[in-house]
Amino acid sequence: MNSSTANPLIELRAVVKVYNSLAGSVTALNEINLKIAQGEFLVVTGRSGSGKTTLVNVITGLDRATSGEIWIDGAPLHRFGSEKAAKLRGKTMGVVFQSFELLPTLTVLQNVMLPMDFARRFSAWEQRKRALNLLEQVDIAEHAKKLPAALSGGQQQRLAIARAMANDPAILVADEPTGSLDSATATAVIDIFEGLVQQGRTVFMVTHDKDIAKRGSRTITLSDGEIVQAKENIHA
Amino acid sequence: MLKARWYKVINDLFGNKTRTLLIVLSMSVGLFALGIILSARTILSEGLAESFAAINPSSGTMRTAELFDENFLESVRSMEDVQDADARRQISARVQTTLGEWKNITIFVVADYDDIRVNKVSSQSGAWPPPEREILIERAALSVIDAQIGDVLLVRFPNDVERRVRIAGSAYDPAQLPAQLDGTPYGYITFDTLEWFGEPYGFNELHVLATNPKDKFWAQQVVNRVKDKTEKSGYTIPLSMTAEPGQLPMNDVLQGILLLMGLLGVLSLFLSIFLVINTVSALLTQQKRQIGVMKAVGGSTLQILGMYLVMVLAYGALALLIAIPLGVVGARELSSALAVFFNFDIYSTEIQSQTFIIQVAIGLILPVLASLIPFISSLRMSAAEAMSVYNTSKGRFGKNWIDQLISGANLWFMRNLSIRSILLSVRNTFRNKGRLTLTLITLTLGSATFISVFNVRASLSSTVEDMIKWFNCDVMLTLDRTYRADKVQHEAMNVPGVTQTDVWIQMPTRLVRSDDSESGMIYMFAPTIHAESLIVSPTIAEGRWLEPDDDNAAVVPSAFLQDEPELHLGGEMVLKIDGKERTFKIVGTYVGMAFLPLVYTNYEYITQVTNRVGEADALMVKMDRHDPAYVDVTTRALEDHFERMGVRVSMVSTINNERTEAEASFDAIVALLLVMAILLALVGGLGLMGTMSINVLERTREIGVLRAIGASNRSVALVFIREGIVIGLMSWLMGALVAIPMSQGLNQALGQAVMGVPLTYSYSMPGLWLWLVVVICLSVLASFIPARTASRLTVREVLAYE
Repeated sequence: MNSSTANPLIELRAVVKVYNSLAGSVTALNEINLKIAQGEFLVVTGRSGSGKTTLVNVITGLDRATSGEIWIDGAPLHRFGSEKAAKLRGKTMGVVFQSFELLPTLTVLQNVMLPMDFARRFSAWEQRKRALNLLEQVDIAEHAKKLPAALSGGQQQRLAIARAMANDPAILVADEPTGSLDSATATAVIDIFEGLVQQGRTVFMVTHDKDIAKRGSRTITLSDGEIVQAKENIHA
Repeated sequence: MLKARWYKVINDLFGNKTRTLLIVLSMSVGLFALGIILSARTILSEGLAESFAAINPSSGTMRTAELFDENFLESVRSMEDVQDADARRQISARVQTTLGEWKNITIFVVADYDDIRVNKVSSQSGAWPPPEREILIERAALSVIDAQIGDVLLVRFPNDVERRVRIAGSAYDPAQLPAQLDGTPYGYITFDTLEWFGEPYGFNELHVLATNPKDKFWAQQVVNRVKDKTEKSGYTIPLSMTAEPGQLPMNDVLQGILLLMGLLGVLSLFLSIFLVINTVSALLTQQKRQIGVMKAVGGSTLQILGMYLVMVLAYGALALLIAIPLGVVGARELSSALAVFFNFDIYSTEIQSQTFIIQVAIGLILPVLASLIPFISSLRMSAAEAMSVYNTSKGRFGKNWIDQLISGANLWFMRNLSIRSILLSVRNTFRNKGRLTLTLITLTLGSATFISVFNVRASLSSTVEDMIKWFNCDVMLTLDRTYRADKVQHEAMNVPGVTQTDVWIQMPTRLVRSDDSESGMIYMFAPTIHAESLIVSPTIAEGRWLEPDDDNAAVVPSAFLQDEPELHLGGEMVLKIDGKERTFKIVGTYVGMAFLPLVYTNYEYITQVTNRVGEADALMVKMDRHDPAYVDVTTRALEDHFERMGVRVSMVSTINNERTEAEASFDAIVALLLVMAILLALVGGLGLMGTMSINVLERTREIGVLRAIGASNRSVALVFIREGIVIGLMSWLMGALVAIPMSQGLNQALGQAVMGVPLTYSYSMPGLWLWLVVVICLSVLASFIPARTASRLTVREVLAYE
């Protein structure tokens, strides 16, 4: 089952991803077609092994699809090598992981500054100012000089979101961002995502939590690498 | 303001101090060895050249049987093409050490100590020139006779006059072989003192300096012309030596040591490179997820590569901070020790700036180049793969033939043994074959070098044994002239303990080439050839040994044929004996030293053609017991008996002493090799520790599984320690095999440099077993810290590892 949108910011055309391992070949994504419009909050659900994380990886260019086309803001990501993909990511996308993936030897502030440094978008001074501003937005500015290990799980995820927003990307991709959090903290994180959507950003979030999935504007369900259900969510 | 990525580099460098220390130490060891070798080579080469130039070295030295005076010396000085000449009296005497032991001593008598023109001797400490009835001892010889300045020595001259002489000071005479190497001390007295010993005035040693001393062929011809003049003037020349231009006596040995140091330096550098690759691989494995994250947040390969290369540069810079000053200190200490051992002065210990430049270039560039290999393979991995949960414990065990060999049905014989955890360690060893290969290369090179050093030591001993076994006797007595052979043999047999005697005759000769030019001096040894002969055949390279009915047959060193291309096995050679040319047939070549060629001919034939039938000037004695104490006592009794019978002994050489002195002369080389081998072993050990640390890190999840199914701290630690031992044992086995060609190469290089022939190859089993013990200890030590870390991980920490 396919979803479609009028002016897609992200478009997947017949995307296939096959993993080869000692145990044999596994098709993680099978002919996925998907369009996501700007300002949309798309939630992907599905059981473990359904292909959710693989979908995140190919959309962000962290991994290459075996076949098919992936268009991000008009750019053909499927044709990009890892270098070009990294640059596109730095400019257009922010990624949030379930296990936060913060760099343990950098302070909270430096973790946020790092994507800006890689993208060479701001001067070092501006990077710092901007990073502090982002930390304030996610309410952890007072922890700026601490190392990530000194933060709670919720604070670490807020930090990961701030880092993802560092280069002011149009797209935020989150892979199980609430998976390691308690329900109250998870709710707060989703609130942040909703706020970003209201600012016009596009959020692509993977979760297996049905309640959280309902907070997206659209939900698609994956099973065995295929989209088996697509549903528009109507919020009061 | 510093960019965020450089904060990461700084924090990574100083955040994990153990890792930084491990990497920096590994690099330092190689750079330190390189620094020592480069600097010591320069210091020693310059010191040697300056010491040599300072003594105004002779082109050739000849000894006359008869004494000559200043008039003859002046006539030599006035010869065309002779730049300068000088004369001394040389006497082979005996000295009683402070411990009561009698030793040979060479005493030089110089007419004017303040006007020595060639092969200068200078004052080291104490009196100068030697006062009347006192003696100066060469500075390297004081320890040989266990004496110090102020001690009184009992000296016995060949004329049997014994005098007590006080050591008034020490002299420095770098033209002589260092006393501790040939076991013969050197003393210096005046002609007044000589007269006190009852000896007449006169010289018997002539030092000649040619006009163009750097041209070896020219210098040889000038020395030969002086020899001809000397012989025409009625003097016989029993001994002459032509110096190698620009070289002190021990130059060959020192060059051999420097060559070995160079080889080991290159080897240690290779080890360091492998170690850098290994440790950088470890670092990248440790940081794989972080690399993935940096890619995920937009870091390009070049940016990330730049960060890690700067990190490696920082490791190199830190290693240089340790290695350069230590290398300078080490080079100065090593140079000083070698200069003392080889008895020459070092005038400057300045380290050349090129040495530092090379060290810095290698310290910074090589690690970067070496680490590009793991970097490229690591950075080619996709970000998703780098961050994959399953990747860290994936492994590739089970697919190839090695894995099949050490698993399943092939190990049916172990089925009933409770060694499953050992099997786990063995199989774990082969999981990451790339890393195992790198670790094995590092450790195997270390192992092979260590074993090879022992092999070289054993080969040196075998070579000495090979040379000594030609003499099937306990003591050799050189007499001051020829005596009736049957008389000296009969008198020797009268001494209790003597069971067998044999004689030979020795004389100096020169090879006359087809263009009438003459070689330097060749020593001719003419032993008796019969069933009871105490000289057995040396190791024959080609042809055969002498036979009883041979007439003009000769056996020459194989290296001699290379130096004299006109000569060949089966061909003829013309030797000048007592001024007359005689033709000999070369029937065999033997493996022997090249720098003092010895030609063997038949005693019966030589004594006939030189009108010395029934005479001998050297006696070999075999005794009923061969232990050193007994041989010494019996030798003294023999000397006393000969003294009473009027037979003058000019030199005594017991085989035990010859062996000890020959082996002692190689001790410096072996000690140096051992130090280098220990350094290499250290590098190997550090490499293993790095590998084991990364193995622990990679298998954090597995450790969790082991602990979850009930493995104790000890069991978890043992898995890793056993793995370390398995790697150590594999490296030992491979090192033992690699040591065979490696020690052959070292034997070839060292033998050629020191003796002109390869050493007699010998494989040291004690060295092999010693290294087995060392490598097991090293493996346990190297894997202990990572194993302890592994055993301390809690299940919670393991699960939180993601």
